[in-house]
Amino acid sequence: MAGAEPRAPRFPWPALALLALAGLATLAVSVAVGSVAMSPGQLWGALTGGGSGLHHDLIFTLRGPRALSAFATGGLLALAGGLMQVLLRNPLADPYVLGLSGGAAVGALGAMLAGAGTALVSGSAFAGALVSTLLVFGLAHGVGGWTPTRLLLTGVVVAAGWGAVVTFLLTLGPAERLPGMLYWLMGDLTYAGNPGLPWAVLVVVCLLTVPAGRSLNVLARGPLQAAALGVSVKPLEALVYVLASLLTAVAVTTAGSVGFVGLVVPHLLRLVLGNDQRVILPACVLGGGALLTLADTLARTLMAPQQLPVGVITALLGVPCFLYLLYRSR
Amino acid sequence: MSVLEARDLIIDVPGRASGAALNLSIEPGQRWAVLGPNGAGKTTLLHTLAGLRAPRAGQVLFEGRRVDDWRRRALAQRLAVVFQERQDGFPATVLETALIGRHPWLAPWRTESAEDLALARDALARLDLSALSARLVSTLSGGERQRVAIATALTQTPSVWLADEPTNHLDLHHQVAVMRLLAEQAGQGRSVLMCLHDLNLAARWCDQVLLLYPDGRLCHGPAATMLVPEALERLYGQPLAVAEVDGAPVFVPVRTKPAGAGSTDFCKGDD
Amino acid sequence: MIRPVHFRCCVGLALTVLAMAVCAEPAAPARCVTDDAAREVCLAQPAQRIVSLSPGATELLFDAGAGERVVGAVGFSDFPEAAKKIPRVGSYKRLDLERILALKPDLIIAWRSGNPRAQTERLESLGQTLYYSEPRRFDDVASTLQRFATLAGSEAVGGVRAQRFRDGIDALAKRYRDAAPVSVFYEVWEEPLMTVNGEHLISQVIELCGGRNVFADLPALTPRIGREAVLDADPEAIVAGGMGEENPAWLKPWRKFASLTAVRRDTLFFVPPSTLQRPTPRLLDGAQRLCGQLESARGRR
Repeated sequence: MAGAEPRAPRFPWPALALLALAGLATLAVSVAVGSVAMSPGQLWGALTGGGSGLHHDLIFTLRGPRALSAFATGGLLALAGGLMQVLLRNPLADPYVLGLSGGAAVGALGAMLAGAGTALVSGSAFAGALVSTLLVFGLAHGVGGWTPTRLLLTGVVVAAGWGAVVTFLLTLGPAERLPGMLYWLMGDLTYAGNPGLPWAVLVVVCLLTVPAGRSLNVLARGPLQAAALGVSVKPLEALVYVLASLLTAVAVTTAGSVGFVGLVVPHLLRLVLGNDQRVILPACVLGGGALLTLADTLARTLMAPQQLPVGVITALLGVPCFLYLLYRSR
Repeated sequence: MSVLEARDLIIDVPGRASGAALNLSIEPGQRWAVLGPNGAGKTTLLHTLAGLRAPRAGQVLFEGRRVDDWRRRALAQRLAVVFQERQDGFPATVLETALIGRHPWLAPWRTESAEDLALARDALARLDLSALSARLVSTLSGGERQRVAIATALTQTPSVWLADEPTNHLDLHHQVAVMRLLAEQAGQGRSVLMCLHDLNLAARWCDQVLLLYPDGRLCHGPAATMLVPEALERLYGQPLAVAEVDGAPVFVPVRTKPAGAGSTDFCKGDD
Repeated sequence: MIRPVHFRCCVGLALTVLAMAVCAEPAAPARCVTDDAAREVCLAQPAQRIVSLSPGATELLFDAGAGERVVGAVGFSDFPEAAKKIPRVGSYKRLDLERILALKPDLIIAWRSGNPRAQTERLESLGQTLYYSEPRRFDDVASTLQRFATLAGSEAVGGVRAQRFRDGIDALAKRYRDAAPVSVFYEVWEEPLMTVNGEHLISQVIELCGGRNVFADLPALTPRIGREAVLDADPEAIVAGGMGEENPAWLKPWRKFASLTAVRRDTLFFVPPSTLQRPTPRLLDGAQRLCGQLESARGRR
């Protein structure tokens, strides 16, 4: 046989293990650094239950839950992006392409405008995301049944509509509420509360989608080919749509619309690891989580005590990295 | 004993009158050619027979059961489709593409075994693709991609092949290689149905022929009775000259203008 | 006989020349003030139709005794009660120029850092008289009252109010000049968590009361910070505004941090935001309240 021996489809455990280690490392760093400097000894003391009340508060009330929320949100967004790209067979798809974040933003900003507290803002964002999901799906279904192209187009147009409503709400907003609204739109983990919900959703959806990875590989080759190879296309597409929407809704509810992670992390990993969804989907969870945890740590420490919007950091980290890999790829 | 059967089948070509119903029975070992001019509905018929498209009326039976009662996965273990148009989606190598032919045979959580890999490698070797197996499909020529699609179906190890223009883009050597492969599959007791544009390939490699007219009329039968100049001239609206070469008829278009409307007996040699 | 005639003639001529001189040269401006953009703003007679382009300026105009001359105001001009009934001319971020022109104002009080520059410049190019207001210190509040009063011809009211404000601030300054410093964190907004730096009027109130703003050195006027930075600074008192009046909800999240001195000593205070966050005479109310709170914090040491 001429040429190099073709890549045998072996599961790339080392790559996933490396990503998992990177995730753990970012979590550790995120807990270890902040405005208050802590020595390793103090850190250990606080983690093992001793230490001062301040250090205990820092780790268990502020940094820990926030780091876990950041990781889960990053994982949710990257997984949702990876799924959307397969579903729509469009590499430009991201979790927000179907107008979901727009609906969530209208919900959240509306609640902020009405002077609601955090819990109500989150609830309202989630409701907005669901309304948008149903709206896009219903409209895209239309009379003739939905196709990825129709879904994409409907989503883009609905998103544009939400964008106008968001601008309108910003115009109405009193001066003192504007920073809060803008930070929400840029994505901000100050809003993250208990990381339990995003983690639970992340784990459940992973368990549902990773076994479907090979079917998704086939689906990426088009619905006819997938059906001819034994995939039940419509139920699978509906499942992916619902799950990706749920992931995005939970992510948006946790941290506002953090951009960029959902688009770039799946692509970045595809450039490195190839296109097998069985590998890419778990890799997205780990890579997206690590990226957002790192970005959030930088956002709250770079100019401490001033806080930067996390979206700025994700873009500053991801754009050069992505462009470099794209430039080098075949 | 038929494997694939059409009963009073009327395919759904949007904007076209229903035409005649198709009653057809495909048996193991048969090599069917579907002939007809552009727009006659060859691809639609193929997709309908594969259960990928709902008919306007009638039904398709696979191994005696309605095709839409089959679970797609079980059906895909027995029936492979070679499509005329393919989506590349995300970049994939030739070997990865051939391996998806094993998809219907693997449980969701299973990864491909050494045997699956061996099947894919054999299929690639059979289509002269071994040297290309690490290449991205998107970097291949049209003919090479066509062979990858056939290799994928071969990896699927079906008992029925439905192939839409399997010789598209292929050079002469590979046209013959692919037809020989399909004939060999039929020889092993499988069934093959292919849409073809090349009358001479049909005449040389197929034993059954289905003629599809643009207005929905149709007729079918053994190749010897169907592949006669009168029927084919009416099918394509093109006068033909015929000669026998190497034991099979060869049809060549003549350079005169097409003749006027022929007799109403459009199925010359109907059974 | 000639002389008297001549004399009378001369007098008549002189009077005529004088009268002509008075008419030909525009009347010397009756009232001129320097605005916060260091420009001279002059009116021939007291302003009769004033448009206010910031909620704070509307409030100051009422305090200066010119309330009933305000014929147009931007949204959120909500104090005093009468200000709510003034016809609106858009929001301070987006002015309705047509409506402003239709009101035929003879004086427009603009907000230098708040209004869009393109729109205020357009008003100027249309021949409108603009006064740019930007009170940044206690004395700016008092002098703005006097300047508004001068322009509106209500010097008597404005002078008294300005003096009352100055006296109140001076009294606080005198009282807390030698008080022991108290480190203070002022929470201007909850989500995102925002405070003020040393430039901000609120920080000046804190200093007036003998407090020390722990974030005085940050570069931005209202910087966004993290909770951890507050834990790090560990202020002796935490003072929060809130959404609406008498709504100390923003103090609650701090109570779960037992390591904070302010939590242990129960020195978490609420000040109605409208009495601290607008540069108007109500600042004196807010300052008196805050000074009292910081004094009680000293007592809990």
